[in-house]
Amino acid sequence: MAERATGPGTGARPSGGLVLGPLRTLTNEFTDKERRLAYILVTPALAIILAIALFPLLYAIWLSFQEIIINQSSSFVGLQNYVEMFQDPDFHSALRNTTVFTVLSVSLELVAGMAIALALSRAFKGRGIARATALAPWAFPPAIAAVMWRLMFQDQVGGGIVAYLIKSSGIYTHPILGNDAALIGAAVLVDAWKTTPFMALLLLAGLQVIPQDVYEATKVDGATSWQQFWRVTLPLVRPAMLVALLFRTLDAWRVYDLLWVMGNRQLNSLSVYVYNGVKISQLDFSLGNAAAVFVFLSSIAIAFVFIKVLGTRAVE
Amino acid sequence: MTKNASRTGNAMDRRDFLRLTGAGVAGAALLPACGGFSGESEGSGSGKLIISHGPDEVLAGLMPKMLGEFNKQHKGEIEAIFRPMGEDYFDQLRTQFQAGGGDIDVISGDVIWPAQFGANGWIDDLSDKFTEEMQAGFLEGPLGANSYQGAVYGVPWFTDAGMLYYRADLLEKSGFSQPPKTYDELFSMAKKIQADEGLRNGHVYQGSNYEGGVVNGLEYIWAHGGEVLDLSDPTKVIIDSPEAAAGLATQRATVEEGISPEAIVTFTEAESDAAFTNGDTVFMRNWPYVFGIVLAGDVKIKMNQMGVAPLPAGEGGSQGFSALGGWNLFINSASDKKDEAWELISFLSSPEMVKFRAIEGSYLSPLKETYEDKEVTSKVPVYPVAAQITDQIRPRPVSEFYGDMTLEMAEEFNNSLKGETSPEDAVATLQEAMQSIIDKGTA
Repeated sequence: MAERATGPGTGARPSGGLVLGPLRTLTNEFTDKERRLAYILVTPALAIILAIALFPLLYAIWLSFQEIIINQSSSFVGLQNYVEMFQDPDFHSALRNTTVFTVLSVSLELVAGMAIALALSRAFKGRGIARATALAPWAFPPAIAAVMWRLMFQDQVGGGIVAYLIKSSGIYTHPILGNDAALIGAAVLVDAWKTTPFMALLLLAGLQVIPQDVYEATKVDGATSWQQFWRVTLPLVRPAMLVALLFRTLDAWRVYDLLWVMGNRQLNSLSVYVYNGVKISQLDFSLGNAAAVFVFLSSIAIAFVFIKVLGTRAVE
Repeated sequence: MTKNASRTGNAMDRRDFLRLTGAGVAGAALLPACGGFSGESEGSGSGKLIISHGPDEVLAGLMPKMLGEFNKQHKGEIEAIFRPMGEDYFDQLRTQFQAGGGDIDVISGDVIWPAQFGANGWIDDLSDKFTEEMQAGFLEGPLGANSYQGAVYGVPWFTDAGMLYYRADLLEKSGFSQPPKTYDELFSMAKKIQADEGLRNGHVYQGSNYEGGVVNGLEYIWAHGGEVLDLSDPTKVIIDSPEAAAGLATQRATVEEGISPEAIVTFTEAESDAAFTNGDTVFMRNWPYVFGIVLAGDVKIKMNQMGVAPLPAGEGGSQGFSALGGWNLFINSASDKKDEAWELISFLSSPEMVKFRAIEGSYLSPLKETYEDKEVTSKVPVYPVAAQITDQIRPRPVSEFYGDMTLEMAEEFNNSLKGETSPEDAVATLQEAMQSIIDKGTA
């Protein structure tokens, strides 16, 4: 049983001489007594992973090919749910809002996070306290942060301080909470406030491992600090940046709580679309489920692009 | 060497892992056992009758007294217990129904739920128990909301209606002897008083993208003679009419003409009553609960500064309409104590209990007789006004797909109020979207 189910890689396809090599190593894998024991021991763990990770995923994908209306029988409809989803104006607004939110918030957080990380990586008095306080906003639960900021952005009860400042400076004179675009802008700022520290922390860890002597060497060669940043710091911090960007982008892509609370349930995002479909509506379960699969697949695609683009350059 | 070292390391990890997994599995095995146990102790097997209600602090405070009386009357036979539910009451109920019914026997539910729950077979048709003779004592609005396709699914136990609150003192000061009867009057009075007094708002209501926004939008549409569903055929959407568009146009005009703040598009009940009880506002559309707030006395305006009137009529409409709110008692189809459940429903909807809730909590009665009860009308200030509007209360569109339709209405009404969509486009979009919901559901 173990032999068939847990062969490593894709080696078990006997078609032509090319596969003979892998095939031979594969046989070796199982004739070696100790290795066989290893496989037997690892099988339960693999089975659990398959059961809890892969099964629900495949089940969701299978469901997305069905037309399901609660309390009625379901039927196989192929890709129709996806076609309907891509034609749904609500899905368009969800996709647009999520994309805008992700691009803006992650770019802002990257730039601000890098600045903070650079500042904190220098040795100065009270650095420990500075690092701890910089992390404070990150400790807020997103829903709490959203409620808190929503109060500051509203201009009715008592008059929110941010709303007042924005209005009196003449940047935007309408109620911020009453306009979707302004609301997304506000949400981007709140998200940046909340997660820039996290970004800074990851980047700081990357900065710390850059050996000092590299900087000394460039200094000897007469490089300006600007050149040092572009030629030394940035390339060497890239692996840490990849991790930070990947985390933040995927987080932003499936944003739910922040927009849900900031927008008082009105601001659409992909996750909100999924929730509305499967939980609120009694007719759109299939669309919501298809959107859930879309979020999953698009997340994988985003991760893939990041690793491909940023990862290979780091190796060069 | 290194290989060996790493092996030992792995062995340690593995042992730890196994120990942890073991604990996890044991814990997981215990969890359902606990759930089952606690479920049984208050659930169907034990003979206790469970009644649930949504978030409502005032009612939750009155429940122990009411159930205490009921349990005393049925000592040794029935014991009813109260289960208060949170903001996600509807979602929770639906999840329970889909999973086989749950353990609640008597469900207190919103007026917009009976059609959906009934059509799915989740709550019982009460036609046999709730006889026409008994129904005759109830107001038509609440009764209509519980009736769907010839069946009656719930017994109203208290009701709610939108009203026009106004600043009686300011109206008088600016020379108006009566509250407005039409929106034209409301607009001109609001503008004059705003100018005379330098007030921030002329009129506030609930314009946010949520159920309260739907209620307000519907009231504007009805006041101008528009309709959402064909009253004789609830599978036919007829919202795309000049009357309905005129209703939304009047609502939008409150912002355009400056009598409502721009932020009205984010207003719910709380923002509205704050703006009104702060003394910043001339008119407000809201539910009866504001009486309680003003009576409690912690706000700027006092009872003698405030008046309440029926909602105004729009141009082309004969009268104003007020959307029905309120709660009703259903019997869960999965309950195994239906006779006991009906016993509790009869008790809670009896004239004595209705009167008790009216006096203790200002709850509006679904029974006609309460509005003529001298004790109630003298003790509860909202009653004399409510008596005037009982004939203008209307249920929201009764359809088993209301849950989906209301989401569309909330969005389009809000878009129209923001000025992002014209009223004509909003009703045209709704016509198509709502009809396709019905078609999808009935296909």
